[in-house]
Amino acid sequence: MKLKMTLLAASLIVSMTGAAKAEDPSKLNDLEIAHVAYVADVIDIRYAHLALAISSNPDIHEFAKTMIRDHEAVNEQALALLGKLNAQPQDNFLSQSLQKGAEELITEMSQLRGDAFDKRYAENELAYHKAVNNLVENAFIPNIENAEVKSLFEAGLEIFKAHEGHAEMMVKKVN
Amino acid sequence: MHRRRFLQTSVAALAATGSSSALHAATKAPTHHDITIYRFKFVPDTLDVRVGDTITWQNKDIAPHTATANDDSWTTDELGKRQSQTLTVTAGMSGDYYCVYHPHMKAKLTIAS
Ligand SMILES: [Cu+2]
Repeated sequence: MKLKMTLLAASLIVSMTGAAKAEDPSKLNDLEIAHVAYVADVIDIRYAHLALAISSNPDIHEFAKTMIRDHEAVNEQALALLGKLNAQPQDNFLSQSLQKGAEELITEMSQLRGDAFDKRYAENELAYHKAVNNLVENAFIPNIENAEVKSLFEAGLEIFKAHEGHAEMMVKKVN
Repeated sequence: MHRRRFLQTSVAALAATGSSSALHAATKAPTHHDITIYRFKFVPDTLDVRVGDTITWQNKDIAPHTATANDDSWTTDELGKRQSQTLTVTAGMSGDYYCVYHPHMKAKLTIAS
């Protein structure tokens, strides 16, 4: 069951990002996992800034500001913990494929305006948080060795699940 | 900043409660209540209070939250990780409140008469 979910999460990410490589996210070490999480946070912050620049829907603005506020708070904690552990996050295949997927999506979304943008943004927020949450819950948390890193990921997952629920509300609102 | 908000609220409470019954409530040893914000929930999510009581909201999440009236008539500031804020209960605070940043976080204050 757990393995199945992990594979599902991995294939979701891979298909989302169009990566050809099928490397296994559950084989990443703690510092690679930390890197993926940091990149995933930064990507959602970038989507949010795009939304603030393009959308004129006040609900989308509130949502985007929450994404920026929360993902920055998580990254601040992650950097503090890495500093305390005197560790550097390590770049890896998954961070790179997430980043590539994000570049493509930002290019696509920046062409959209009005309702078309709002819909695309809200739908992507829902899909993105779902995929990342699957990854964090099923591929990362069971494999993280450091207890403090694990507990930060558990707290992060709580936040991103709240975002997933919030994104679901947003999708309903803009459709 | 939080202290100033607290004082303003206290003054507003006195101004709003100039009647004898409110003075009675105010002189009858106000109670202090604690509400914890943890895992995207207000705990407890319903609370019976009296005018003049104090309530402290403490955020134990990493994500910043607020406690804000549904009708916007009162609010805490943004509460970051481990931050707390105390408000004095005024007559107008009865009813539903939520977190502005995470609108699915809902709670309620009930004011006993
Ligand atoms: Cu909140």
